[in-house]
Formats: sequence, C-alpha cells, structure tokens
Amino acid sequence: MQEQLVETDVLCVGGGIAGLMAAIRAREMGATVVVAEKGNVKYSGCGRAGNDHFETYIPDVHGKDKGAFIEELLRTAKGEILLGRDIFRAQFLKSFDIVKLWDSWGIPMKYKGKWEFAGHSFPGRTMTHIKYEGRMQKRVLEKQALDRGAQIMNRVMVFELLRNSKGVIGAIGTHTREDTVIAFQAKAVILGTGKCSRLYPPLTPGWMFNDPHGGVQSGDGRAMAYRAGAELQNVEMPQRHIGPKYFTKFGQATWIGVLKDPQGKPLGTFVNKPNRKYGDMIMEVNKLVAEQYTRAGKGPVYMDCTDITEEDYQYMVHWMEHEGNISLLDHMKDEGIDFRKHPIEFATYPLRAGGLIVANEKAETSIKGLYAAGDEAYGDISAAATFGWISGENAAAYSEKAKAPDVEEERAKINKNKQLIDRLRGRQHGPDWEETNIALQQIMHDYAGSVRNQALLNQGLNNLLRLKEKVDTQMMARNQHELWRCLEVLNLLDLGQLVFLMGSDRKETRGLHVRPDYPFTNPMLDQAHIIKLKAGKPAIQWRSYEGGR
Amino acid sequence: MPPVIDHEKCTRCGKCVDICTEDVFFGSEEGEVPTVTYPKECIHFSGCVYECPVGAITLRVPLPMMLVHKP
Repeated sequence: MQEQLVETDVLCVGGGIAGLMAAIRAREMGATVVVAEKGNVKYSGCGRAGNDHFETYIPDVHGKDKGAFIEELLRTAKGEILLGRDIFRAQFLKSFDIVKLWDSWGIPMKYKGKWEFAGHSFPGRTMTHIKYEGRMQKRVLEKQALDRGAQIMNRVMVFELLRNSKGVIGAIGTHTREDTVIAFQAKAVILGTGKCSRLYPPLTPGWMFNDPHGGVQSGDGRAMAYRAGAELQNVEMPQRHIGPKYFTKFGQATWIGVLKDPQGKPLGTFVNKPNRKYGDMIMEVNKLVAEQYTRAGKGPVYMDCTDITEEDYQYMVHWMEHEGNISLLDHMKDEGIDFRKHPIEFATYPLRAGGLIVANEKAETSIKGLYAAGDEAYGDISAAATFGWISGENAAAYSEKAKAPDVEEERAKINKNKQLIDRLRGRQHGPDWEETNIALQQIMHDYAGSVRNQALLNQGLNNLLRLKEKVDTQMMARNQHELWRCLEVLNLLDLGQLVFLMGSDRKETRGLHVRPDYPFTNPMLDQAHIIKLKAGKPAIQWRSYEGGR
Repeated sequence: MPPVIDHEKCTRCGKCVDICTEDVFFGSEEGEVPTVTYPKECIHFSGCVYECPVGAITLRVPLPMMLVHKP
C-alpha cells in the first residue's frame, strides 16, 4: 500500500453542489483548496444529472421586508424545518446572490428572460422556487472551481477525520481504484458528502441502487464527524419520498398533473387539473399518501397528466430534462409510455436515514475548523449552493489564522486505518460489503422501521452490535472498489447504531418515528435532539433550535 | 445489464469509465472496450449514455425497475 501526503488550507470532502461551491469561494478568498470526490465531480451528488428548481428570496419580487418573507416561509412549506431561524435566514439572505452568480457562470436561472416561479408552493401562497436549467450545472461548477485553481481529486474516498485537542488537522482517504492511502493535512475541512442511502432496504427487494439519491451517498460525512466528536442531530428521524414506481426518481414538483385514485378522483384538495404553476402539493403535505391508499385497499395511486395542454406538456418535458430525469424520459419512449395518455403509478418510497451534522449559520460544526454544508447539514440544491459558498468563505478565513497542522501528530490513527484496510483486503473468505449491507438493512427495517418500541429497539441494537463484531473480524474486499464499498458500510453500521440509541431516547411519536409505547407527540420535545461522543461514549441531549448552535 | 456497449461503435476513449459516479466500469483497461464490472451498482441516470461521443452506449433498464402505468 502506498501512502501519499496532500497538504492544503481547505479540504472539501465531496464534490457535489456544496463541495464545489465551497471550493470556488475558498479559492477566491486566497486559500489553497483540494476537493476529494469518491466518483467524478462532473456527475456526483444529488445534482449530478441536473436540477430545475431553486429556492430563493428576490427582493424585487417578494418585497423588501425580509423578516415578513421568512415568517411566511416558516408558516408554509418550510415550517417544519429542524434547523433554527438563524440558519434559515442566512440561506435566504444569500441565495439570490448565488442565483445571480450561477446565471453569470452559464447556468440559465431565468426562463424566457424572466424569473419563473413554479412548483413547491401552495396556490395563493408565496412562491419560493424559481425554475432553472440545471442539466449542466456540475460541469459549470467544476470549470469555475478549476479556473480558480482548486485541485480536484476524483476517485478518492475520505473516510476518517484527523484532529487534535484544538480542532481538525486533516483527514484520511483511500483511492477507489489504486492501492493508495492519502493523508490530507488541512487547516480546515468542509464535509459536503450528501445524503445517506442504503441504510434501509430499497423499493425493489435486493436492488439497493434503485434509489433516487444513488448508492454512493452513504452518510460518510456524518459518520466520520461523529467519530471525531462532532454533534449530530435527529439521526433517528427517518424520511420518505414519493415518486414514479418503480423507476425511482426525484422531481415530483416537476410533474404537471394531479394525483388520483383508480377511479380518477383527485386525492388532494389543491388542484383538480394539471397546473404548471403549482403541481400537486398533496404529495408534499403527505408523502405517505400512495402507501396509505394502497394499504387501505384504495390504491394504486396515479400521477395523472392526461389533461395537460400541449404547451404545458412541452414545458414539463423541458424541465424534466433539466431536473435530471432524462433517463426516465428515454425509458418512457422505449416503452411507449406517454404522459398525455397514461397515468403513471406513484409510490411512497421506503424509509431512509435522516439526521444531519449540527452546523450554525456560518456552517461551523462543533469542532474547530470543521464545516458542514449541503445535505449533511441543510439540504436541497439551493441550500447546498448557498451554504457551500458560506462554508468556503468561513473555512478560508479560519485557515488564514490557523496554525500549520501536522498530521504526524495522528500517525497512530493513520496506521490503525491502514491496518483496517490491510485486513479488509487481506481476507480470502467472509461476507463482502453487499452481504453486510443487506444484513444491516434487514435489522434497520425490522427493528427501527415504520413502527418502533423499546423492546424492538433493544433487540435491534443487540442484533446490530453482533453484526458489527462479525464484520470487524470477517468482512472482506476483493479489490479497491469493494474496499470503498466496505468503508461505506462501516459508516452505515455506525449510523444505524445511532438510530437505535437516539430512537430509544426519543420517547414520543413524531413524524415517521412511530412508537406505540409513547403514542403522543410531546411538545416539550420541540427541540434539536443531539448526540456526540463524550469521553468515548455517546451522550444525548435536547437543545432549543434557536440557541446554542 | 445496464449499460450496454456496442463494441462496433465504441472508440475505446474511456469517457464513460472516467465519469461514472458509482464506478460500474471498475477494472476497465485503457484502450479497450470498457467492462461493465458492477452492473447492479448502476443508478440509471444515463451519464455515460450522453457522455459517449459516438452513441455507443444504451441503458438497459432492469426488469424490476419498469415504470408502471394505468392500463
């Protein structure tokens, strides 16, 4: 095994929207920047194939009263956001600057010369999302980062942070194609590693890459942040999405149609014929609606676009291409499926991991020099872009004053991780990453799934710890590709454990955390649920959203 | 399984190998037609299909992923 040392002021872990925006801004501020990306930044992250909607506050449109706008948003679609007002405000005050930047860089943010507001909004309420042509957004951001002199290292998975008593000093990564370990010596590290797929079973049994987020996002950032002592929040709170069955894809707000039952009756109350401005918000009010109808014997549920006008059809297809759904359109063409003729079945997608790294309005985590942006802290493309930028700016400013780090301080940890890789690569027999991942998904589904109670959570944690013991001594990787997947699964195992610990501690029913042993939502717990390692042991606390971050 | 490479058309440029996020082409040799080593890790967003300069790649959608529509 080779070991390579890479020195930089700012290390961006993950080259999605947040990571590239962070790199661009940190370079502008004069810091040296390295982006470490598991895949290739051209097509990585949730924005890999495009996006068509960007949440923003435009004073000329929404009025100059920022406070009123934010209050309106907190009351509507974003009312449940688990972040706190300061973060929310930081996003909205900066997002329009980002819109203008993107437009100037060649990501068309206007439609026919104007800001085009549509989707993700209730009829009559404030419109918050502009349509934009984001199909080539990753290419544009890659170019901007390279033009400013950021160094991009594709095919490198960062899997462990290095820190001393004062703060972060770097990270350890492995090349996904070559037998090389990389020690990153960095004054500041930005985690932009995205969402967490593959903790729960997929829609298609056994086919875990049929996931709208892709398979590569395995919660690496939050797992390594936790191991390094940073705070995580609400890890036990799962999420679900809704979309076309079985070709799982995002972009429900891009569909111009009405969600209907088999008899053609609309499920919801917001629209009864296709409306290009609003789509059908019933899916955002209740993403479980498709599953509930099916379980009640009233399904299946269809997204019915058959009443669409030809003009609106062209409009929808245009945005579908930008939203990253070109493969869905190609598949429909191959199969002779037409939005104008065929209602498409929609499904509630399975449970997936929630949670985030606690970061404040400057994207600072609870560890000095460690920042988090994008889905690890505050998701969706607009927040990823804005907080990517904010994190890059603050990380660069921090690195200017920070003492030169020395990763040799953490030589023992580097060596320990090299030994871990040697063990995984050295074994000739044993479970591979896929077998381990399936075993983990089975535990999560059965013991921390859609219904939980204390006995289930206790049993599940016990099962997971037994699985971990086996994995420690038996898991094997046949090559570097499988090694990368093994390291992802090790992160998922840690996050699964946190779901059990935090799920046990949350003694209430709230959202998708359903506990018949505590059937009511406890308003006293309208707070952030936080876990961190304290003297090597998990410590859980509740904290007001508005303070202390 | 996805993606499917037309050996006649493929110019062995390696663009698809370079850009695939999930690295389904892991182990492909430079100057050879790429090998689809990990087809089950394909996430079907057609990056390779549209990146290929000669249109040599098609995406075969797996049977369990077929889109469902009202008959």
